[in-house]
Amino acid sequence: MKKIVLKLWLFLWIAGLLVACGGGETDSADTDSSESADTSSETADSSDAEASSSDEPVVLRVGWAGSPDTLNPGTAVLTEAYTIFEVVYDSMYQLELDGTYSLELADSLDVSEDGLVYTYHIRDGITFHDGEPLTAEDVAFSYNLYASQEDFPFLPVYTEFFDTVEADDGNNLIITLTDAIPNIQSQLIYLYVLPEHIWGGLEGAAVAEFENEAMIGSGPFKMVEYAQNEFVRLEGVKDHYLQGPTIDEVVFQTFENQDALVQALRTGQVDMITEMPNTAVVSLRNEENIELVSGPPLAPSVTDIIFNQTAPENCPPDDGLCTGHPALQDRNVRLALAHATDKQQIIDVVLLGLGAPGLTLIPDSLGVFYNDSLEDYAYDSTLANQILDDAGYLDSDGDGIREMPDGSNPLNLRMNWPSDSTNAPRMAELLAGMWGEIGVGTQLQALDPDALTATCCPTFDFDVILWGWGSDPDPNFLLSVMLTDEIPTGNSETGYSNPTYDALYLQQAVELDQQARIDTIWEMQRIVHEDVVYIIPFYEQSVQAFRTDRFTGWQTDAGKIALEDPSSLLVVEPVR
Amino acid sequence: MRQSRYLLKKIGWALLTVLIVILLNFFLFRILPGDPARAGIRDPRLTQDAVAAIRERFGLDKPVINCFESLNPVKFGSCGVNPLDTQLFIYVGNLLQGELGISYHTNRPVLDMLKEQLWNTVLLIGAAQILAIFFGMGLGILAAWRARTTIDYTALLASLTFWSLPTFWLGIILLFWGSNQFGLPTGGKATPGGNFATVWQEWADVGRHLLLPTLTYTIVFLGEYMLIMRSTLLDVLSEDYILTAKAKGLRTVQILKDHALQNAMLPMVTIIALNLGFTVAGAIQIETVFSWPGLGGAIFEAVGRKDYPMLQGAFLLIAVSVIFANLIADLLYSYLDPRVQAG
Repeated sequence: MKKIVLKLWLFLWIAGLLVACGGGETDSADTDSSESADTSSETADSSDAEASSSDEPVVLRVGWAGSPDTLNPGTAVLTEAYTIFEVVYDSMYQLELDGTYSLELADSLDVSEDGLVYTYHIRDGITFHDGEPLTAEDVAFSYNLYASQEDFPFLPVYTEFFDTVEADDGNNLIITLTDAIPNIQSQLIYLYVLPEHIWGGLEGAAVAEFENEAMIGSGPFKMVEYAQNEFVRLEGVKDHYLQGPTIDEVVFQTFENQDALVQALRTGQVDMITEMPNTAVVSLRNEENIELVSGPPLAPSVTDIIFNQTAPENCPPDDGLCTGHPALQDRNVRLALAHATDKQQIIDVVLLGLGAPGLTLIPDSLGVFYNDSLEDYAYDSTLANQILDDAGYLDSDGDGIREMPDGSNPLNLRMNWPSDSTNAPRMAELLAGMWGEIGVGTQLQALDPDALTATCCPTFDFDVILWGWGSDPDPNFLLSVMLTDEIPTGNSETGYSNPTYDALYLQQAVELDQQARIDTIWEMQRIVHEDVVYIIPFYEQSVQAFRTDRFTGWQTDAGKIALEDPSSLLVVEPVR
Repeated sequence: MRQSRYLLKKIGWALLTVLIVILLNFFLFRILPGDPARAGIRDPRLTQDAVAAIRERFGLDKPVINCFESLNPVKFGSCGVNPLDTQLFIYVGNLLQGELGISYHTNRPVLDMLKEQLWNTVLLIGAAQILAIFFGMGLGILAAWRARTTIDYTALLASLTFWSLPTFWLGIILLFWGSNQFGLPTGGKATPGGNFATVWQEWADVGRHLLLPTLTYTIVFLGEYMLIMRSTLLDVLSEDYILTAKAKGLRTVQILKDHALQNAMLPMVTIIALNLGFTVAGAIQIETVFSWPGLGGAIFEAVGRKDYPMLQGAFLLIAVSVIFANLIADLLYSYLDPRVQAG
């Protein structure tokens, strides 16, 4: 027996050797590949046929670098999950690309005089994907579920102003608020409506642990197949009560490697990609049959250069260390640093040109709330030097670094950033060079995000941090970050305190007149820009690309770039 | 009798090692800095209350073990707590019932996730290992037999080059080459939503996706097997009994088969067993380059998100496989070389 086995092994080896000697390995690979090349041309042929023949489904293939973390809207964290929720579920409002809201589930709305009671009339005849009707009861159930589940990370926050949510017999949803708020739309857009007949049976921890693989919603696409970290396959709901998609199916495929993602678009494996490394942009721009689009992203985000300007009297008594360099409490120093910062160079080097110069913490992707009338501090190192000279910060010992006006404490700033950031290291080096030219020294160090949080706020144990925020479509949260009241909570990163600003914040938070609120918010941005609370180096852009020979109808000039948004997915159709 | 004692001793040691691994796994991840309930999310919408509720749901509000609330940062706590109500005992208790816990990141049972990924990884790495062993050993035998000839030098140079190639680089190059030249897919395990008429077409589709990653892995690992096979066989071939065999007029194949190979197999068995054990760990780089939904990629992601249950589960699986593969190697040793057992 033993001999037979050995003989067999030897035979196999020798056979292998013969193949290998004759360059057989490559040959065999070639053979395999050419076979599969045949198969692939067959597939390509058949997909062409798909587009032309009417009985084959029209499938749109989207490539992205991420994957939903979970299909449970309560516990999801990643943007990719929200992209899927956006097309599979409905909510009370739809956020349009131009930043406005339109009613989705309801056809009309009544607001009480005092702004506390909202009555939404839910459209009749809406059904879930499993055929069950969607009524005001389901909406009330969903909102109350989000309000009561403490272990949902994000959604309960949007229900904080809800006093009661009820459905009446006439298919109306009545929300009673604790305070009149100006932005109920942005509170409701992420509160996806779930079927009570499915979720109603879950209790306690089971709600958060529910995998929701069937994902019964009422949106324009329904879940067909989901493989985590591989793909999400959705089928169009042609008879959707608002607008059904033209295409039959959309598949979101995950590519963990961004170069492979770009290559998938080049070779036609996918029809559109939602992201790409900036390095791929130049080569894709010249590619035949591919169109590249860029602009403000749908989900607002902002990168900031944070100055620790906490005054001693504002230092949080419990957690605060407040070791920031005293010079940073002086507006002149912050102003000089702003003039010494060449934002365009940062954009060119860090983002390869794909960004817009930033102004304040409220980014351009917040649409009407973004104050674009402000004039930025021009890059001018001579002026910056002059400002510091005039303010008395001189280099008295001739070591190239200025000191405080009393000659103490050289302007050596600690600069930190989260170690998971790809942009920050390059930006830090550029800033070190630019600020060095005006006699301000820097000590650069990346920190683990958790360690950085511990150094940041509310301990204020730093000088400068390079970080950023993601935001809702409403600016309320980003504006709150600069409040005096937020210094001890950890949300304020700068320790900035200005009573006028604080008063304006409270004013906009209850201002029900949209234009008046916008005016107040613009004024608040003017104040923080004047006070140089932050330097905002840039607003990042969303860069996406699609094949022009596959589908047409992509929404590319509607203000923001989000080809994966329903605004595009509902209207794209195959190229004939 | 002696054989069963040898067997029992080896199995006993293996079980003890698994136990130590379980404890090490548990503490290893808790020594890492950071709060898994936040897992690097710096989102304004994540409130303190939500963090507290999440910690409670995952049992992170309980002390790690008596006297220690947490290990990083080190926070001492009461030593008088009920030991059964600490994270360590809850973990071990669940493990004994076959429960690996719920992933913090995906909220799914770790066991389900591991099962899906394990199959994908075994498919990819298994196929590639078999090819690498086959061609690597073949080349090694050929090079040793034809030592100091052009064949030997070519094979040696090729193997050294392959072995020292950075895996991700080779992967990317093959990815671009294969997708441009032959239209091979650039990622994934199968065409999502592909309408296949027969199961054969479906398998052909998986095969097409498998081709490039397998080729990458085979090329990289082939070198290792070739070099070890060649050097051990060269040692054996310089022995006097091989000269005797040649003098007796035996044919090449007979000498290799009956006299040289079995003796040269010991180091190969070790390396194959070790590599097969690590097969379940996947190949992080290859799985990432080709977006292959296997264990390697999952571990990489879990590290970033401080997903303790997933990491503990995956590391346990890897440890058990390596220990099991070593056990098999030990048993094979005693078959290939009876002196091992006697010693």
